[in-house]
Amino acid sequence: MGLYLARRLLAMLGVVWAMSVLIFGIIHILPGNVAYAILGEYATPQAVAILEDRLGLHDPLPLQYWHWFSALLHGDLGRSLVMDRPAGPLIFEALGHSAILAGSSFLLVAVFGILLGVHAATHRGTAVDRALTLMQLGFIAIPDFFWAILLILIFAAWLHWLPATGYAPLDGGDLLAWLSHLVLPVFVLSIGLIAHVSRLTRSSMLEALESRYVLAARAKGLPARLVLGRHALPNALLPTITILAIDAGLLIGGVVVVETVFAYPGLGRLLIFAIDHHDLPLLQAGMMVVTTIYALANLIADLGYALLDPRIRVGAHA
Amino acid sequence: MAEAAAPILAVEGLSVSYATPYARLFALDDVSLAIPRGEVLGLVGESGSGKSTVVLAALGLLGEAASVSARRAEFDGRDLLADAAALRGRRIGVVFQDPAAALNPALSIGLQVAEPMLTHQRLPRTEAYARAAALLGELGIPRVAEIMQAYPHQLSGGMKQRAMIAAALAGEPELLLLDEPTTALDVTIEAQILDLLEGLRASRGLSMLLVSHNLGIVGRLCDRLTILYAGRTVETGPTAAVLAAPRHPYTRGLLGALPRPEARARRLLPIPGALPDLRSPDPGCNFRPRCPLAVAACAEPQAMLPAGPARRVRCHRHALVADLPLLLDPVAPSRPSAAAPLVDVEGLTRGFGGPTLLRRRRTRVHAVDGMSLTIHPGEIVGLVGESGCGKSTLARLILRLLPADGGRLAFDGRPVPERPDLAFRRRAQIVLQNPDGSLNPRRTVEAILRRPLAHFGLAQGAAAGREVARLLELVRLPEAYRSRYPHQLSGGEKQRVGIARALATRPDFLVCDEAVSALDVSVQAAVLNLLQDLRDTLGVAYLFISHDIGVIAHIADTIVVMYRGHAMERGPADAVLHAPHHPYTEALLSAGAARQMRLVDTAPSGAGCRFAGACPRKLGAICDIEPPPWREASAGHRILCHIPVEQLARPGLRPGPAGARRPQTP
Repeated sequence: MGLYLARRLLAMLGVVWAMSVLIFGIIHILPGNVAYAILGEYATPQAVAILEDRLGLHDPLPLQYWHWFSALLHGDLGRSLVMDRPAGPLIFEALGHSAILAGSSFLLVAVFGILLGVHAATHRGTAVDRALTLMQLGFIAIPDFFWAILLILIFAAWLHWLPATGYAPLDGGDLLAWLSHLVLPVFVLSIGLIAHVSRLTRSSMLEALESRYVLAARAKGLPARLVLGRHALPNALLPTITILAIDAGLLIGGVVVVETVFAYPGLGRLLIFAIDHHDLPLLQAGMMVVTTIYALANLIADLGYALLDPRIRVGAHA
Repeated sequence: MAEAAAPILAVEGLSVSYATPYARLFALDDVSLAIPRGEVLGLVGESGSGKSTVVLAALGLLGEAASVSARRAEFDGRDLLADAAALRGRRIGVVFQDPAAALNPALSIGLQVAEPMLTHQRLPRTEAYARAAALLGELGIPRVAEIMQAYPHQLSGGMKQRAMIAAALAGEPELLLLDEPTTALDVTIEAQILDLLEGLRASRGLSMLLVSHNLGIVGRLCDRLTILYAGRTVETGPTAAVLAAPRHPYTRGLLGALPRPEARARRLLPIPGALPDLRSPDPGCNFRPRCPLAVAACAEPQAMLPAGPARRVRCHRHALVADLPLLLDPVAPSRPSAAAPLVDVEGLTRGFGGPTLLRRRRTRVHAVDGMSLTIHPGEIVGLVGESGCGKSTLARLILRLLPADGGRLAFDGRPVPERPDLAFRRRAQIVLQNPDGSLNPRRTVEAILRRPLAHFGLAQGAAAGREVARLLELVRLPEAYRSRYPHQLSGGEKQRVGIARALATRPDFLVCDEAVSALDVSVQAAVLNLLQDLRDTLGVAYLFISHDIGVIAHIADTIVVMYRGHAMERGPADAVLHAPHHPYTEALLSAGAARQMRLVDTAPSGAGCRFAGACPRKLGAICDIEPPPWREASAGHRILCHIPVEQLARPGLRPGPAGARRPQTP
């Protein structure tokens, strides 16, 4: 178990480091002058010279990378060019907003994805199962921005029940306003993923239900509740955990579309802003944060495996 | 006898059918059986006979797709069809075939054994676990406290099956249903499990239903037999009487098809044809298309007729069955070959695993450790050993499908390089165990057979078409089969295609890696006969690999016994099959010797004999410390053992105590 964890942790650190090289490298390997790319092609030579100086672009690439990476390790995420403020606080504030969005969506996805999946598997072939299947396929096939626009039209423009866009800070004390701004984006973010996770849980649950060990558990005369919860579910959840880990990463890094449509001030929108305004240091720092969160989510999934699967948790010999 | 009048399980006229998309599938058709209290009934049949359906029906676990009916289905006077859910796990225990699949990989052994006590008897946790530990100990499991906390993947196959039996006994059942309980296990482990069951029957007064395809094991444990064919009972009676003088042509056929060491010079008598279509059951005798005695009257519905004391048989011609031949004429003994060896292997070694960056202390496990072997042209060398002994690895090493760590390999007098040329590949071919996995399901038989012809540039166009016809004729498949896909063939037919494919290149040497192990006995006999004929007509040499010493004894000229990567005994088949034996060979050949083998779950560490840890005839410390010498028992017959040949010639059986015998812990 300890060895397994050490290996997973080492692998995670390796991935994060490799991504840092990639994130740094892609921007610098692009043809053309980085300063011109930031300032635009009509920039004056003086402005370019000043920027190159500030970003240390005259240094050799490995040295530039080292400066950037060691600063990262010391917790210095660099400075946003456009806003002329440290990137760290900007990113973490946006990340906080995104985390609320992603976190509540993730909770919904995990709970409803697994519950609906298990329900469909145990009621295979019934009308409920068929209806769920149809809905799942629909939600997987139709992209989230379509739902976003449709829901804004219905609940904001037509019924006036919910605000169309924006964010209300909680420190104002207005819990209702805060919540009302979250409902639509959370719904849009989770619906497709719930469909996806429940599909997967259904099929792995069906496989577990048809296994010999579940037959053996039934033959022991165990009540259905134990057969399902103790014998089938732990085995059926293994593939679900993989998908949930990927989804957690997607939710943090992939909220761009939803945040844009709902004008929600999260990390996704901050990254779009950095791209639009050629704010390279902000973009790099933001991407590193997303990468690290993604890698952490996978590490947690590996932990989950170990908890559910004794073949990982304990070695091969008694 | 009063007890006999009230059987613990009585089933009359049980029928089970499934609705499938196109037609109704009749899995069981009017099946009757009865188990007197305290007795063991053997339910025998090949795949598709419906024997597992009987077990699931008795447990009420057939699922909603099945429609079940019976004139009577009673357990101790209670209606099984209504009350199965209240009886299973409590008064009826079950052990399924493959313990690796039937134990839950995510739960500890302790929980899985204690579970019925927690649920049914509502025992407190500590007491249930204490009882589970005691039960595991009773079943001969060593280091119980440790095993209780272990998970299934940490246990050997034999230990897993003991744990399964413990879980089945946890509810204190009166009836134990055993569905192929030893089929997934090695023969030596099988002997120990059967012993254990025999002991449990005596000590706990259990009644049992032993479901098996294996006539050998039911003979050891059962009082009575019921033979099932394609969903119908065809014969029932006392075990000894049924096995000695079967009255149904099918039972007779099963016995004739069974390869046995003691009748190795005789040709097997396979049952022709295949299982009937269960979607349209024959109102008459459903065995009649395969039966040598069939006459027009067999098309009439057949009843179970009395045939001797306590025997019934579903055949109106049962009086004639006794006259059917059980075995065909003796086969001509193979010509001894004086020619130079075709395959010459010396000291071949291959390991797996080993130290890695993070696991420096991990040692490389030697799957094959210094194996030497010679195979002459036209010779059949049988390689026998249990799962994990390295026989399949050896096969791959000899074909250079896997690089060797060390050793020499020569073919037809020339050393075979690490990456052999096309000529070697053409001359040395392989037939694999599972034809379902080794035939491409998207290709027709013709395409499968043309592939090697094209690859080796042997024939094209019309010539290739003629070659396909020749190959189909060789393996006795009809010409029309060339346009079929693998799923349209039966198991035996698929394996014939696998053999035809291996023969397409006109090889001199064929490795048959468990080539008949996945087949039913009646089909296996036909394939074994075919392979023997092909050797006689084509002069092909075989390395025939099997875990079943009966099959090896039947087909091989020379036998090599392998244990943990190394040969233990080698020699002409007749010599190896008769004393003196290596103690391991003795265990493979005799259940009596096998039950005295010790349970080992660790690899030997020292330089001594690999078998020392499990050996029932172990001399002492010398076996652990010193590598045993090769002893010459007779010309060409050599045994790797510290025990002198004269002593090995005497049977090593110690008189064991009656009833359950606990295996010694190492």
